[in-house]
Amino acid sequence: MKPEFIRNFSIVAHIDHGKSTLADQLLLKTGAITEREFKEQILDDLDIERDRGITIKARTVAIHYEYEGNMYELNLIDTPGHVDFHYEVSRSLAACEGALLLVDAFQGVQAQSVANTYAAMDAELEIIPVINKIDLPVTRVDDVLEEIETILGLDPYEALKISAKKGIGIDDVLEAIIKRVPAPSGKEENPLKALVFDSKYDPFRGVVTYVRVVEGVLRKGQKIQFMKEAENFDIIELGQFCPEMKKCDSLGPGQVGYILSGIKELDRVHVGDTVADPHNLPDEALPGYQTPQQMVFCGMYPIDATDFEKLRLEMQKLSLNDASFSYVAETSDALGFGFRCGFLGMLHMEIIQQRLEREQQIDLIQTAPNVTYEILKTNGDVIKIDNPQEVPDSGQIDEFREPITRATFIVPANNIGTLMQLCEDRRGTYKSTEFLGTDRAQIIYELPLSEIVYDMHDKLKSATRGYGTMDYDIIGFKDADLVKLDILVKGNRVDALSTIVHRAVSEKRGRALVKRLKKEISKHMFEIPLQAAISARIIARETISAMRKNVTAKCYGGDITRKRKLWAKQKEGKKRMKQFGQVEIPQKAFLTVLEAGQDE
Amino acid sequence: MASSPVSNSHASSAYIHVPFCIHRCGYCDFTVVANRDDLIGAYLEALSKELEQLKTQRKLKTLFLGGGTPTYFEEKDLERLMELLGEWFSFEDDYEWSVEANPAGLSSEKVRILSDAGVNRVSLGVQSFDKQVLKFLERDHRRTEIDEAIHNVKKLIDNLSIDLIFAVPGQSTELWKETLQQAVSLGLQHVSTYGLTIEKGTGFWSRFQKKEFLQADEDTQYDMYRLSMEILSQAGLSQYELSNFARPGFRCLHNEVYWHGEEFFGFGPGAASFLAGKRRTNHRSVTAWIKKNLSGESAVQEVDELNEEDRARERLIIGLRLCEGVDEQKFQEQTGFKLEELSGKTITRFCDMNLLEREAGMLRLTDKGRFLADSIFVDLL
Repeated sequence: MKPEFIRNFSIVAHIDHGKSTLADQLLLKTGAITEREFKEQILDDLDIERDRGITIKARTVAIHYEYEGNMYELNLIDTPGHVDFHYEVSRSLAACEGALLLVDAFQGVQAQSVANTYAAMDAELEIIPVINKIDLPVTRVDDVLEEIETILGLDPYEALKISAKKGIGIDDVLEAIIKRVPAPSGKEENPLKALVFDSKYDPFRGVVTYVRVVEGVLRKGQKIQFMKEAENFDIIELGQFCPEMKKCDSLGPGQVGYILSGIKELDRVHVGDTVADPHNLPDEALPGYQTPQQMVFCGMYPIDATDFEKLRLEMQKLSLNDASFSYVAETSDALGFGFRCGFLGMLHMEIIQQRLEREQQIDLIQTAPNVTYEILKTNGDVIKIDNPQEVPDSGQIDEFREPITRATFIVPANNIGTLMQLCEDRRGTYKSTEFLGTDRAQIIYELPLSEIVYDMHDKLKSATRGYGTMDYDIIGFKDADLVKLDILVKGNRVDALSTIVHRAVSEKRGRALVKRLKKEISKHMFEIPLQAAISARIIARETISAMRKNVTAKCYGGDITRKRKLWAKQKEGKKRMKQFGQVEIPQKAFLTVLEAGQDE
Repeated sequence: MASSPVSNSHASSAYIHVPFCIHRCGYCDFTVVANRDDLIGAYLEALSKELEQLKTQRKLKTLFLGGGTPTYFEEKDLERLMELLGEWFSFEDDYEWSVEANPAGLSSEKVRILSDAGVNRVSLGVQSFDKQVLKFLERDHRRTEIDEAIHNVKKLIDNLSIDLIFAVPGQSTELWKETLQQAVSLGLQHVSTYGLTIEKGTGFWSRFQKKEFLQADEDTQYDMYRLSMEILSQAGLSQYELSNFARPGFRCLHNEVYWHGEEFFGFGPGAASFLAGKRRTNHRSVTAWIKKNLSGESAVQEVDELNEEDRARERLIIGLRLCEGVDEQKFQEQTGFKLEELSGKTITRFCDMNLLEREAGMLRLTDKGRFLADSIFVDLL
């Protein structure tokens, strides 16, 4: 396939603006899938993605379309829509020359439309604005066109108006891709350079490496080298996604496909690496990607300690298919052996946890998530803190820094006050307001990441009756008056309940936390004091009084079996709790740290 | 019929369940039918069939007729029941034969039938002396009927026990104290006190779910239980089990069989037996139980089979219900397990917490431990 007949493109959109439907419609139109298959969202092949109606992993598909007598190969590289997965978006965009920016005809430009457009611009892509859902009974097409011009700086006259659901305007989309997205610029005769933009582990075939050929040609049977590790492999199978894997003999410049080379360990394939010919190495590798930065961390511990090895295995498997998930073994006095895990954001964390619990059936205790902090020690060292337990004594801390984001909100004009209050309450620094037409505004704040990761999105939605949207970028670390808040249960510090909080809210948080814990921990045969402390200073206290009476009155011949079964069931229930000293702390209590924050 | 666990056993205790009642009270979760007098004939016939499993007449140490209300039967049915039991059972010299009864309708004539048959202990379901409490519990008797029933029993049978319920919604601690004092004034040999529990499937359960009333709080329950212990023991009725109090020599021998982990037969709907290490429970449905027996099938619905260790653990916690506790030596002989091996650490922990105590080879709940028995049992299982 000559490069002039190849187009590589992504679809970017705010969540729910119809990205997957358009992708499927393009497949349907070009015969890649049948009408029946169209009913499902083909490109989301993880259960959880389908459950949640969101795309997590980037997916790719080659479609063939005849236009003005020529057969074109259009490679669609699908991108995730959620703010947590920015990294994967930029990764996909780097393999394309163009992007369709899909905007809902009623909702208009939203925070992630903006963020994704900028990402596409950074990657120097041709952007084709597409207004979707024009079949809706109520649309604001003219307003949306204006937003595309004023907010995004794109030419509104070039925008297409379609309905992906009804199949209206799909031919126009295909035509625009062919006419407006530049053909790839690589040459067959140049030394081979192919970008690894994703990989996945297939239990039967080993590692499947997703590549976009930039220069030269990849051929079946040839030797290849992954330049980063300078390791050589044979190509066992080469192919394209149509959308299922389909073998082919070669992939030329601009083509997108996969390589099977018998690699069993996914960590040997690095996303962003360059595939080259070891006999004809290029002068330099492709620029690749930055390693994704995990910003949210939490501890995950098996409830049943014997599940530890199983959990390690499963985490390893997950990390194989998800470079942005990290895990390191750690121990907690309270929870035993487990892992400190890093995620791109809260959604990412939830998804991983669900996959472990649901698909692997490992019962987990998850500690409250925290962001990464940076500490400048008095001796001049700078250390990263992923876990509140690692915070050094306050005497050793010169600066306690937290990650700061630049958060962009798009809200209805009459919710500006509520939003600003929300941001002020969360230690935000106001930056700017820009009106989008008469009834919406874009507001920018600098906010600590810790203040937004947990529930900012939910709070925004409820403050704006669902109309507000947000996006954020991390812009750096900043010194703040932060302290470690410890929880003592019956005099013992429970490390897994420690959190890092701003001093100004520490007392309030401490009080809310022990109050919440009091509800979660049931009465024992003795009194249980619950205390919140900063260093050695107790700032809040609650007491769970001792159980006074718990005795079955009747226990005669016929009752014994029933009672014993009841007690045995209670014993089973207790096994699912973590024993700390003599106190049994239920799983849920470890997340109260989070909920206590929301009570304030 | 071939040999069966029943025919093979040499148990010397038996429980007979009589499911008939005038009314199913809101708290009752026993196998009971009300307004089904039409089933009495079939019941007696089925019971006769079920007893045939014994093959030979047995000499018993204890026999217990529970319900339901065995004395709900009219005189002629009561006589038939006594005759039937007389055919299958004879008694050792110091035997105990208990019958449960309700105060309402316990005539001298019925007491005479029982006494003539050999019944030597009556357990009377008094529950309370207070009008309001009785009304809440849906009990149909009045104070005068209680006195009359007690009078009728005492003429012929001197071993009399009553049941009392505490922690009833609306019942104050003061009121419970009066109830206990009135019980004491009756000069009884035995009292059982039960904290009201709301079991699934009862009338109270659905009313409770609908929040029609609140359960007594933990502190009130504690105080009431504490009062039972104080007032009854001061009156010479010393506590010998978590819910039972007796004058010296008047403990319920039959119930002690349960707590000592000894064998017993069980006949009637919902009745349980414990023979050769297995507890079998009959069908709780009266009609199903009748049908099974009349067609010659086994009426057993559930067989509780435990491995030796679990059986030993059950034996331990049931035994701990007795105030005297568990004899460590006998426990080992009976179960093959040393307490130390079974639960040594847990026992030590509870001893340290002053919930269990060991003395002269006996392991028992402390005074404090009696209030928290269930929590202790859970950890010992």
